[in-house]
Amino acid sequence: MAKVDTRPDHHRLLLETIVQPASLTGYDNRQWELLLRLARRAQLSGYLAAKLEKDGLLDSIPARASNLLRSSLIQARKQQQSVSWELNRVMWALDGQEIPVIVLKGMAYLLQDLPNAPGRMFADLDLLVSKENLGQIESSLLKKGWQHHALTDYDERYYREWSHEIPALVHPERSVEVDVHHTLSSPLGKLKIDPLPFREAAVKVKDAGIYVLSPEDMVLHCAVNLFQNNELADDLRHLLDFHEMMLFFSSQQPFFQQKLIERANQLGLGNPLFYSLYFSRLLLRSAIPDDLEKQLDRQPGWLARRVMHHCVPLALLPQHPDHPSRMAGYARMWLYWRSHWLRMPLYRLVPHLAYKFYLSVFPARAETSK
Amino acid sequence: MYWRLNSSLSSIRIKNWGGEFTVFQPESGKTHFLNEMGLQILTILDRSPATLETICKALSEYFSLQPDKDFPGQIAKTLHRFETLGLITRVKEHA
Amino acid sequence: MKVEQFSLDQLRTLLAGSGLRVKAGPFNLSIQTCLPSLTDQLYRMYSHYSLVDETEIAEFHVRIIPKHSIRRPFVRLIQFQVDGRAPFPPVPVEQALATLEWGINLVIAMRVNHLLLFHSAAVERNGHVLLLPAWPGSGKTTLCTALIHRGYRLFSDEFGLMDPQSGEFFPLPRLMPLKNQSIGVIRDYLPEAVLGPEIPGTLKGTVAHVRPPQESIERADETAKPRWIVFPKWSAGAALRLESLPQSEAFLLLATNAFNYEVLGETAFDAVTSLVRNCECRKLVYSDFDSALAALDELTDG
Repeated sequence: MAKVDTRPDHHRLLLETIVQPASLTGYDNRQWELLLRLARRAQLSGYLAAKLEKDGLLDSIPARASNLLRSSLIQARKQQQSVSWELNRVMWALDGQEIPVIVLKGMAYLLQDLPNAPGRMFADLDLLVSKENLGQIESSLLKKGWQHHALTDYDERYYREWSHEIPALVHPERSVEVDVHHTLSSPLGKLKIDPLPFREAAVKVKDAGIYVLSPEDMVLHCAVNLFQNNELADDLRHLLDFHEMMLFFSSQQPFFQQKLIERANQLGLGNPLFYSLYFSRLLLRSAIPDDLEKQLDRQPGWLARRVMHHCVPLALLPQHPDHPSRMAGYARMWLYWRSHWLRMPLYRLVPHLAYKFYLSVFPARAETSK
Repeated sequence: MYWRLNSSLSSIRIKNWGGEFTVFQPESGKTHFLNEMGLQILTILDRSPATLETICKALSEYFSLQPDKDFPGQIAKTLHRFETLGLITRVKEHA
Repeated sequence: MKVEQFSLDQLRTLLAGSGLRVKAGPFNLSIQTCLPSLTDQLYRMYSHYSLVDETEIAEFHVRIIPKHSIRRPFVRLIQFQVDGRAPFPPVPVEQALATLEWGINLVIAMRVNHLLLFHSAAVERNGHVLLLPAWPGSGKTTLCTALIHRGYRLFSDEFGLMDPQSGEFFPLPRLMPLKNQSIGVIRDYLPEAVLGPEIPGTLKGTVAHVRPPQESIERADETAKPRWIVFPKWSAGAALRLESLPQSEAFLLLATNAFNYEVLGETAFDAVTSLVRNCECRKLVYSDFDSALAALDELTDG
């Protein structure tokens, strides 16, 4: 029996366009308006523009839509150039120190020309290094002109003591945030991820000293970020990263999917991979065998699956800009708590969220506590 | 210690405004404003990597200057600025 | 169809319902609000604007909504929203019109990159555009207001919109916010100018908007090429000076003040180069409108 599609119209419109970009040549002006607003909210207008440009469709759509999409694409390209240049400057600052640097996320996709890279919006440079090298990198960058964001004492403590990260570094003449990590998840979280196997499997890219994660690890890292580290709100673009990478690596390497499952089992990352495969197939119709996730050692229980099945699409997909749904609001709130619950023990979580709420009501007070 | 250009001068866009220059650096996407002295430094380095001393000598000849004792210091400052902008890099050897 | 052809009731229904869709130069706006005071002000200040054709796309969807704040429970607040998101904190209800106008400018500045956006006033005379770029103390809006009531066609008091490929400039005639002393100056000098309410207490002090002349709005589709770039500076008691400005300096000032010069990269580098090469660049110091207008008339004659 065919299932009835119960998704809201605006979700269907956005997903249909992503899965089948050619469908938008038939849209009327109201559909276009809604699509453009949703794509912007999901930070996918640059991605969509790049797809249309590649298919030669950017000139056969209404001029106003084309102008807006082109504008997003120009902006995305500028962001990509800025982050690439920032990486160039970081490597210059570290020159001669022989510190291997693993580039993560957006910049890593760009370095490898992955199909999700064109038009992808990202403003930060994320790097993974060993804990031993963290201090040396921080001091090298500070010496060459980078600065820490002005932080409140609270935030500084949150970073250094609780998250075990260093606060983001920014060069004042450029505006790209450099995030130097030594872990791939919160050290306080329930799911401990040992970064060592990720670092050991990293692969070299063309420039000296620059590495990216291996294909399996890159896909797993994307899954972990989605279902372990994030609140999922408006995060469709990261699911799209997952979907595109699955497709690409599966076509490149004959046993990629099998290797991915083995790697997830070896690293104990079954849960986030399970959800990523499930929702990528559900929302983006990824061509992934139905029983693939059954081979995972760890899988979420049936209750968790039911709840996630209903909540995740409501959070991942953008709200209607004029008619936000209350149901989606609750789903997002629940996932927000879930993500913090996974990242922090309760005795730190409650004061942390209470403080964040306080700031949202009294933003001026945060300034004075510096 | 030598200085060298990061990418050859021909890959950089330069417009002359009667002794002032706007320079577009494609790698960074930034536009820089240079005077004649600044542009001449890049021109010298485009021929081959050079030390501060060689650069100063070439500049004095080009502009027919009698360099005072502050001159190398000023040029060194400009070189550091160019280095921060990613136009030039320090190298140990004249590779 | 124009806004003035509606009754106030019809306009209210539209603003509170599916939205008022009006043309603003090359862009279409959809505006929603259920605020009666703002509706009244828009009825008067937007009267000359044309409605968007039924089949056309509106690029920007903005809204002014009433807002409650835990911090300020006894002040009536409103908030600007674009696509359901609020880029500014709430402000008192009296500032609704100013917030709407600034909000629309912000959205244009943040989202448009197919055109190069100079931070500049632009007017047209004898078929060519005169750019009056913004720099500290330029008083571009005030001078622009004087010019458009003395025979110049308004393009914009805020944006020089340039197609980087063709070099054409696009008109974007919108309300022009006069600030503080400029309000009195314009009331004295141009009694015929149509001004909106005086709005005190905004981030930029007291603001009153000038309604663009009807002709500027009706001819908003007529683009033009630039020919003059004049950097104005108002200085109390100064004798009039209209001097030439080195092109390199004009380049620097235009590029560093543009909203999206860096984003457009090499395209912008080439566009500004050809703009400056093709224009006469001047610096204007003035203290009274009569002599400034006479000097600009002479510059733009023939």
